[in-house]
Formats: sequence, structure tokens, C-alpha cells
Amino acid sequence: MARSLLQHYPHATTRYDELLSAPGTLRPHWAALFDAFESASRVQMQDRLASVRRQIRENGVTYNVYADPRGVERPWELDLLPLVIAADEWAQISSAVAQRAELLNRILADVYGPQQMLVEGLLPPALIHGHAGFLRPCHGLKVPGGIHLHLYAADLARSPDGGWWVLADRTQAPSGAGYSLENRLVISRVFSEQFRDLHVEHLAGFFATLRDTLAQHAPEGDGPPLTVLLTPGPYNETYFEHAYLARYLGFPLVEGSDLLVRDGKVWLKHLSGLRRVHAIVRRLDDDFCDPLELRADSALGVPGLLDAARRGQVLIANALGSNLLESGALLGFLPRLCERLLGEPLAMPSLATWWCGEEAALEDAIAKLDHLVIKPAFPQLRIESVFGADLDRRERAALIARMRARPHHYVAQELVQLAQAPVWDDSGPAPRLGARTVGLRVFACAGPEGYRVMPGGLARVAPEAQARVIAMQRGGASKDTWVLTDGAVDTFSLLRRTVGPSELVRAGSNLSSRMVENLFWFGRYCERCDNAARLLRAAIARHIESDDSGESVLIRLCRTTGQLAPVGDDDPGGALCDAALARDGALSALLHQLSAVAFSLRERMSIDNWRVISRLVETAGREPEVSPGAALEHLDRCVQAMMTLSGFALDGMTRDQGWRFLSMGRRIERLQFMCTALRHALAAGGEAPDWLLELADSTITYRSRYMTRPQWLPVLDLLVSDETNPRSIAYQALGLSDYLARLAAQFGAIDAGTLPDAVAELLALRPEQDLHTGSERLANLLDRLASAAYALSEQLGLRFFSHADPRWASGADLP
Amino acid sequence: MNRMRYHVLHRTQYRYAWPVSDSRQLLHLTPRDTPTQRTVSHRIDIDPEPVERARRTDYFGNVLEQLSIGSAHDTLTVTAESVVDLTPSRAAGATRSPAWEHVRDRLHQVGPAPLLDPCQYLYASPHIEPLAALARYARLDFRRERPLFDATLALMRRIHRDFEFDPQATTVSTPLETLLRQRRGVCQDFAHFMIGCLRSLGLPARYVSGYLLTQPPPGQPRMVGADASHAWVSVFCPGLGWVDMDPTNCMQPGDQHITVAWGRDFSDVTPMRGVILGGGEHAVEVQVTVTPEHEAPPAPRPGPAQPLERG
Repeated sequence: MARSLLQHYPHATTRYDELLSAPGTLRPHWAALFDAFESASRVQMQDRLASVRRQIRENGVTYNVYADPRGVERPWELDLLPLVIAADEWAQISSAVAQRAELLNRILADVYGPQQMLVEGLLPPALIHGHAGFLRPCHGLKVPGGIHLHLYAADLARSPDGGWWVLADRTQAPSGAGYSLENRLVISRVFSEQFRDLHVEHLAGFFATLRDTLAQHAPEGDGPPLTVLLTPGPYNETYFEHAYLARYLGFPLVEGSDLLVRDGKVWLKHLSGLRRVHAIVRRLDDDFCDPLELRADSALGVPGLLDAARRGQVLIANALGSNLLESGALLGFLPRLCERLLGEPLAMPSLATWWCGEEAALEDAIAKLDHLVIKPAFPQLRIESVFGADLDRRERAALIARMRARPHHYVAQELVQLAQAPVWDDSGPAPRLGARTVGLRVFACAGPEGYRVMPGGLARVAPEAQARVIAMQRGGASKDTWVLTDGAVDTFSLLRRTVGPSELVRAGSNLSSRMVENLFWFGRYCERCDNAARLLRAAIARHIESDDSGESVLIRLCRTTGQLAPVGDDDPGGALCDAALARDGALSALLHQLSAVAFSLRERMSIDNWRVISRLVETAGREPEVSPGAALEHLDRCVQAMMTLSGFALDGMTRDQGWRFLSMGRRIERLQFMCTALRHALAAGGEAPDWLLELADSTITYRSRYMTRPQWLPVLDLLVSDETNPRSIAYQALGLSDYLARLAAQFGAIDAGTLPDAVAELLALRPEQDLHTGSERLANLLDRLASAAYALSEQLGLRFFSHADPRWASGADLP
Repeated sequence: MNRMRYHVLHRTQYRYAWPVSDSRQLLHLTPRDTPTQRTVSHRIDIDPEPVERARRTDYFGNVLEQLSIGSAHDTLTVTAESVVDLTPSRAAGATRSPAWEHVRDRLHQVGPAPLLDPCQYLYASPHIEPLAALARYARLDFRRERPLFDATLALMRRIHRDFEFDPQATTVSTPLETLLRQRRGVCQDFAHFMIGCLRSLGLPARYVSGYLLTQPPPGQPRMVGADASHAWVSVFCPGLGWVDMDPTNCMQPGDQHITVAWGRDFSDVTPMRGVILGGGEHAVEVQVTVTPEHEAPPAPRPGPAQPLERG
């Protein structure tokens, strides 16, 4: 068969090739998938690639790179082609990784317990006492079920002879399992037939085991079992994954400030009070978890958390202090430790690594620098790995000087020639099959019968063909990993599990205060964007039509509401278009704020919601020309998108307290805007303007009722008093009163300020006397309503979000 | 050897600009028992009353008191009172201690290590980073094959000579590199620096936190609260065990040093460490008074002619 795809595929001479066993000869387990690539046209392959990229973008899969000029979020790079691993080979990898997880767990139990391995000389004291990750306050702490490692990952590489080696262990809070899952969803969709026909192992069972083991070992009491996922926050490089896993596993995603320790137990600050937390899956580094006993400068942690764990009142996964085993220096001691602790030989070798903190090792490393890679000794050190052979004389001398000054900061590791795997390369003029350096991160979780290994993993490819390091921080990409099986595929899905009655009761009620605050602001920003877009649209349309060069009421309204600068421009038309279109324009700024709030709500937000927002933000500020026509088009899109979001909120969200806060955010914002708009229109006098109806999206209603041009009395009736018009003042104010009553029913009386009085006044308005431009009563009422809305927003913040209210902080809701 | 009985009063008061609604503290204020020291009585009073309070032993065997205060307060006062007996043995002499390189090599051997306890104090800790520059400084006294005890004593004397006591020169987080350059600081800096020198040579050294007898000039009453906590160094000498050295006062602690706690450096034995919610700006006031429980005419004894330096 003609293998046209292999025409440009680089032949590997000094390293292992995942695809070919000899030039032109496919490894058997690749044959079926490769045939599918071959039979597909290049156009089809490019379509699949486009689909992959679209899914990544629209699902908002990101990896945050601290120094990336593209800003904090970078789209996740996913290659079109999966890495395929044969069943028999996987069996070996899987049992080796499970063994290693068991071994490392035993080592942690020993180091944080009797330290017998040190006494017997199997573990040099330097690796423990010299390691910044050995947390002395955690010594003697009994972890539930004796499980220190709930989730473990090993970074594997394949040497030229085809054998697998362990490059590094991830024992603290391994990342990548969630990305593996996302990769799987995307790639199995574009190769759905092949995925099914090849009997690729599914991943869901692995995550179910992880979840069930946590539930099994977590302490009990004070209400239904609750596991949370603790994240450092949206700026962490793998935040997407935190949110993704939290949603997938059904755990609330929390930050340190959402939790507090009281009576030696951990509690989630919840809208309705405090809720006992029984288990914490943490993505926060060990030493940041508790500023009281660990790093005092950590603002991310929970004071007292360590003591709660010490008292056995909370399960922390992985156990605090497990960072200790991420030191490469340990690798050389594992074979003997394995024999001693498990009574069997270590199944998969690790690359030889030495700690330079020992003088002999330091001198050795310096002597053999050309054949070594020098790495940081502890993950806490932000030192880049360096290949000795890459250095010129000056750099080499500088490195040696640094190593001599602080030898304890470095480990030296042997070099291995990493394998290559096929990638779909569309960077050149013609898309083709290329080859890239590949490594594999494999995950294991604690289960009822020892460690269970995820059948698959995160394959990572380097950005350059011959690279020796693979790091997502350095711009690498990832691959889905297909583990083939001869038997039946376990099609269990975590998303379709059966729900027990006790879970029904809790559904949708695990709202942290921070989450509710974000929902509230999401509502406000949606509405603010909508208002701004409608206002700019009306103003630009009027400006095109009229020759009037003076400042119209609409322009003044734009200035008051911040769409335009407070002082005049010579060319309001140009300024309006800029406000709508420019990258630094008012609307673009609002959309970015909306997107930032939505970003922090990712785990609560459906993918469709996110798509609407990400499309909008993507187009904002990207128009090739700034013209009234382009501005109007963009504003139309914006208004439509906001209507879509509002539709989702109306139709797609359960009416829990989170939704109520989102709705209150909307209504407060809309009430303020409508009051301001009406005040401007009324003050200008003259005939009732049609734009007022436009801003309130009430033109059609008006026409269907009156069949006349706008007149003040019916316009004001519709926009102020009509309780059935969802844009009217009355609708907002009465809705807010209703929500407040519902909140009060659950949480006790709420200080609503002047709102109740203003509402009473609103209901007392008489059309014949008060609904006209000269009515002072109406003008005053609009001002009072606007300031009542402002005060209410402040009050909600104090009471429900910031916990500044002493009644809230006193924990009256403690069970 | 004579038994000395001391009364120690250690009061710490925080005053906050704004009320503190939640406060958690860890206290290292309880003197630990040693072969030459025994606690006769001890109590810690806390105002306001904590909602939770527990005592446990930390990783290094020190007594750790943890407390949490849940009610709003703008002042926190912690008063520790102890009565302690000291029965110092004769100051360890320069008898036979092994050559320092021998001790170093012994402790760094890979293999069954009978000397696990000193091994804990060989490496970097939050405030003490072993540096080649510190090893160079120390090498002047650590000549080839010199007995460890002699060399350490000489190092202590040189640090005392080279460094000036200056409470204004440093903060809690002044790095050793800076100390090496400016050569001024308080007792904590003297101790950190000496430990850094020893560890940079591959030798085990620990940080001891405690108190020093208030020694008034003749004919004057004792100054209540004029003192602070003190810190010194302990070095491990095979055959002798842990040997204390006080580089601030250039002496081997005997019957005037009361040990509270030890660890790798200050961060392990901070007398009071905590996390508060609220509070804003705060002012802290510390008083330490150490008086002999039974007044007796001071016996003439060897020691520095000038009053001991503290801090």
C-alpha cells in the first residue's frame, strides 16, 4: 500500500519511533488508525483539526502561562493524532506505575511516621532533612486510611531500545488528569468511528474510583459528606483543569478564603451559613495550605487546616507534605526501598539522578556536566533545567559557580534520548505528518484494591522536532492517549451515574459565598453590557441620521453612563464608534470585565454560555475598520449575545439562591440604568423620544398597544408603571422586593434601606398627575430608586459576600 | 554543682488599630526540660480568654501551645510565668573532641546512620542557607584536623569580635549574605550566622531560644521588662553531645541561660506566631524578666567582665 503520509515523515535513527518499527513499516497497533488517516483526504484531516481547535477555544480550555505576551490565558494545544499504546505494553506500564504509587505511599508513611528507612540507611537523611518539602509539623500526623497519595502521576519517557523510564514523580497535586479527560472528549469526537472500532479504554472508571476512595476514607459528621476542590485561583496555570475536574467530579471549587477552621473542623462559608467539609482535593502547594503552621506569607491557605488534619477531622488529598517525594534525588534509592517495603523488584527504572548537596556528587556532576541535565532539587525552587552540553564556556562557568555557591539547590540527571511520535503538522504550506519528541504522564489513584491506573494519560509533545525537554510552560502541546484493549471496553460514565435520594436533596445547593458574589456580578455585567450596547446603538443611529452637530440627550446620557468621556469631543460620531469598536473602547472594557467574571464562574457555567461570551470577547476590538456601519453591526451582535445569555439564565438555570443573586444583579443594574435614562429624557423635555423605547426594548409592545408615535403618558406608563413589562421600573423594583423577601425568609431580616418606601411611592403614582415631563414627584422618585439600588448592592455585599457583617462571622448557623 | 532557681516572666502584648475578629496563635513559651534544667512550675495566661486552647509537643520535642480567640478584641496579652531549676554540669572542656572533618564525613555517609538526630540540623532552613561564602569565613578557624570543639569555640570568639551588637541594623528576615557584609545585628543574627557557618562546613548546629539572667549593675534594682528573649547556638560534638555556645556574649551557657526551645532556626521556635483577621496596624510590646528565686550574695564566678548582651 502506498504510504503517502509517510513521504515526509522523518526517520528516527537514534531514538525510538512510536509509529514505525523500521522505515516504512508500521507498528501493528497503529495500523488501523493509520489507515483511517491515509484514507481521509487532507481536507478532511484539516476539517478535523479545525474542529479540534474550535472545541478547545469554545470550551475555554486554557493553560495559563505566567510570562506569555498573549495574556494570562493561552489556548490549550492539542495535537490531532492520539498516541496509541498496545494492550500488552500498557499492562506492563500500568502495573509498574501502580507499584510505584504504592511504594511512594509507603515511603511517605514511613518518613512522616517511624522513619525506619532512615534508621536502616535505605534513605539518606539528606534527602529528608535537606528537602524544603519535608514539613515537620506534618510528622506524626495520621492520614485517613493510611493513604498519603490519592492521586499520583509519573512522567515517563521511552529510551531508544523501547523500554520505559520514569523521569519524575508528581506526588503533591499532580496536574493533567483533567486535561487528559478533555483531550479525550475532543479527539474521540473527531475520530469517533475509529475510537469505537479500536476498543479504546475509557477513562471514567478511574475518576469514579478516585471519588469513591475519597468518600470512603473521609471523616463523617455534621451533615452530608462534602468534598471540595481547593484551587489557588484563576491565575494558576492549570486553573481550567481545577474548574473542569470540580465540575466533572461534582465537587464545589473553592479558594482558601471560602474555608475556615473552627472547633478543629473545616467549614465552607456558604450562603446559608457554614457547611462541614470532610475532604479536600487540593491543587494548592503543600506549604501554602496553612499560614499558621506552614508558610506564614501565604494568603491562599486556610489558617488551622493542618491542625484539623492532625485531629483527623478532614481528609486532604494528597496529604500535606507529599511534595517531599518530588525531588529527583530520591530516584536512585527506589530499587532498594522497593525490595525492602514491597518485597519485589522495582518494575520500571528511573533515570539516574544525584543531589549536589553532597559534596562528592557535586564534584562528579561538574566533571560530567556535558552528559547531564542540571535541574532544581526541589519544586519550590524556580530554577530552569539546563543541559550541560548546551552551554558555552562563559555560561558553563557561571552555572558551576552557582552550583558551588548553593549546591543543595541542584540535582544532576542523566540524559535520555526521548522517543518521537507522529503529529499532524499544519505549520507549513502543506499539512503533513511530522514527528515530535514525546513523553507520557500516567496517573494512578488509590482504590479499594491498591492503586488503579488511568488507562490513557497525558501525552506531551515538544514544540520542536528534536527537543529534549517537554514542558507545557515552554510551549509544548499535548495528545490524547489511546490504550487499546483486547477485551470489552468499560463504558461506565461518571456523568450518567445514578443519583441517590440523599443527593437529590443537596442538588444545586453547594454555593459558596464567593460563587454567589460572582453570580451577582455576572448579572450586573451582563446587563451593563446590554445597556451600553443598546445605548451606543441608538446614539450612533441617531447621529448618522441627524445633521445636528450639538450634543443630543443621547450623547449626554453616554457621558453620564461612562460610554463616552465626561467632557465633549469635537467629533461625537467618531467617539461613539470608538466606544463601540475600539480595543480600548468602553464597550470592549465592559465585555472584558464580563468575561473575567464569567471566567471565575467557569465551573458553574454551561459550555454554551461560555461560547457566547468567548465569541463576543474574541470579536471585540478586532474590527478592521472603525465605521458607523461596522459599529452598528457589532452592537447588534452584542445585543443578541446578551439576549442569549439572559435566555440561558431564564431557561437554563435552576431557581436556587445563586440564580436569585444573578437576577438581583441584573435588576439592580437595569433599575439604575432606566432611572438615569428616564431622568435625562424627562429633563430634556420636548416630545417623547423613540430611543427611550428602544433602550428599553419596548418599541414593539408600544406599537402594538398604541399605533401612534411615542407620547409621554403612554411611554411613561409602559416604562415606569407597567408591572408586566420586564424592562419597566416597576418590574425591577417589585422583583427586587420579592427576592429580598425570599432571602429574608431563609436568612433572616435584610436591611433593604429606602427601597420599600420608594416602591410604595412608585405604586402610588397616578398617571394623570405624575406621568409627564414636568413632574417633580416622578423625577425625585427616579433619583430615590437609583440610590436605593446602589445602597442595596452595598448591603448585599456586606451581608452575603464579604462576611464583614459580625452576625455572619459569628457562625450562628453552626450545627 | 549548685542548683540555681529562677523566676521567668515573659509578657507579650499586641495592640491593634482595629478589632481583631479571629486570632490563632502558636506559642513556644514553655521551658523544656533538659539534663541540666527542670521546670518547677509554669503557667500561661491569655487575655482575652481563648475559645480553644491545646498543648502538644512539636517535631523537635518543644512544648507548643496553640490557641484561638473567636471574639472581637483590640488587645491581646500573653503572660508566661515559669520557675526553673538549673543544675549546670561543668562547662564542657576542650577535652577530646574528634577532628571536625571526621564528624562531617561521619554524618554525611550514606548508609545506616546512628547519628540521625544531628543529621536533622545539617541543612538549609528557612532563615539559614548554607553558602560557600560562609564556609570561607569559617575556614580560618576550621583548619585541617582541628578538634571540632576547639574550632567551634574559636569561631564563636571571632564572630563576637567581628560583629557589633546593633538592634537597628537588621530585621527578622535579614539574609546571612547581608550579615556577612555588614557584620551587625542582634542575638538572633549572631546565632543564625554562626549556625550558617557550621552548616556550610557540613556540621550540625541548632538554634536555641531562651532567656538570660537579668544581671543588674551593682547597687541598682533590677529593671523589670528591660529584657527580651535570647538566642544562642548548639553544636553537636560526638562524645560530648550537644554543646551550647552564645556568640553574642562570647561564652558557653552555664547557670545563666534558660532554655525554652530549639529547632533549625528562629522560624521553628518563634515565641509567638499567629494569623489574625482584621486588626490593621498593630504595636507589640514584649517584657522579659528573669530573677533568681532565692536571693543570695552573688558568688564570684568566671565570666565576661561586662554585662551580658541580650536580644
